[in-house]
Amino acid sequence: MAERTTPTGPAGPSAPGTGSGPGRMLVAVYAVFALAAGCRAGVQIATRFDEAPVAYALSAVAAAVYVLATVALARGGRTSRRVAVAACSVELAGVLVVGTLSLADPAAFPDATVWSAYGRGYGFVPLVLPVIGLWWLWRTGRRAARA
Amino acid sequence: MSNALSVVIIVVALLAAAYSAVTAVRNRAMGWGDLAALGVLEVLLVVQAVVGFVKLSAGEGPGDSATFIGYLLAILVIPVAGAGWGLLERSRWGPGVIVVAGLSVAVMIERMRQIWTGTVG
Repeated sequence: MAERTTPTGPAGPSAPGTGSGPGRMLVAVYAVFALAAGCRAGVQIATRFDEAPVAYALSAVAAAVYVLATVALARGGRTSRRVAVAACSVELAGVLVVGTLSLADPAAFPDATVWSAYGRGYGFVPLVLPVIGLWWLWRTGRRAARA
Repeated sequence: MSNALSVVIIVVALLAAAYSAVTAVRNRAMGWGDLAALGVLEVLLVVQAVVGFVKLSAGEGPGDSATFIGYLLAILVIPVAGAGWGLLERSRWGPGVIVVAGLSVAVMIERMRQIWTGTVG
């Protein structure tokens, strides 16, 4: 087991790892959500898409955003950082908009998505996760600017 | 899905998470203890997958078997991924990831129990 330092990558001075140190825990939680949301969306769309197309399409979008955020946070280069900010922002907007709509107009969402009722079915983690993600990106970004 | 087995898995997953939390708090990288806990967890999950498929093929289980099978297989990845990460990240955050993995397994097993008994779709 070799010691491993902060990955900077051969592509030049990338910002110090969003995916190393404590960031790994964040990436791990994102990975679990990407896995769970991806499997769920896949099953829903494959077996009963016509029952609730809006909800299931949203599940698929949510899953894609989680996968994107996981990869971008794990890579942590300059471009990945921008992608991660975008993905976390889309997530935050998604959970707020879909959460509000699902409470205001339950008929439009006959089946639950990850983001329904602000992610209540998932212990509100979908609501907290993008906030932590954005905070972490901001924090590591400042550290990078100082270095 | 076996009720006793899922309770055992949840307990082991939480114990693995707790053990690795202690490792992380003590500021150590992942050691053999963390790895052994993950190993036990993975063996239990494989047993569960076998039992699950046997029961499903015997006609037991939820109407929505696709989701259940998804969980049954997806959950197998988690301890392995946790161990791999612990090997890569030689700091306290390696066991930190294992804490996340253990808690995730516990939550997913609970969700699988709900799917099995038909509490949720």
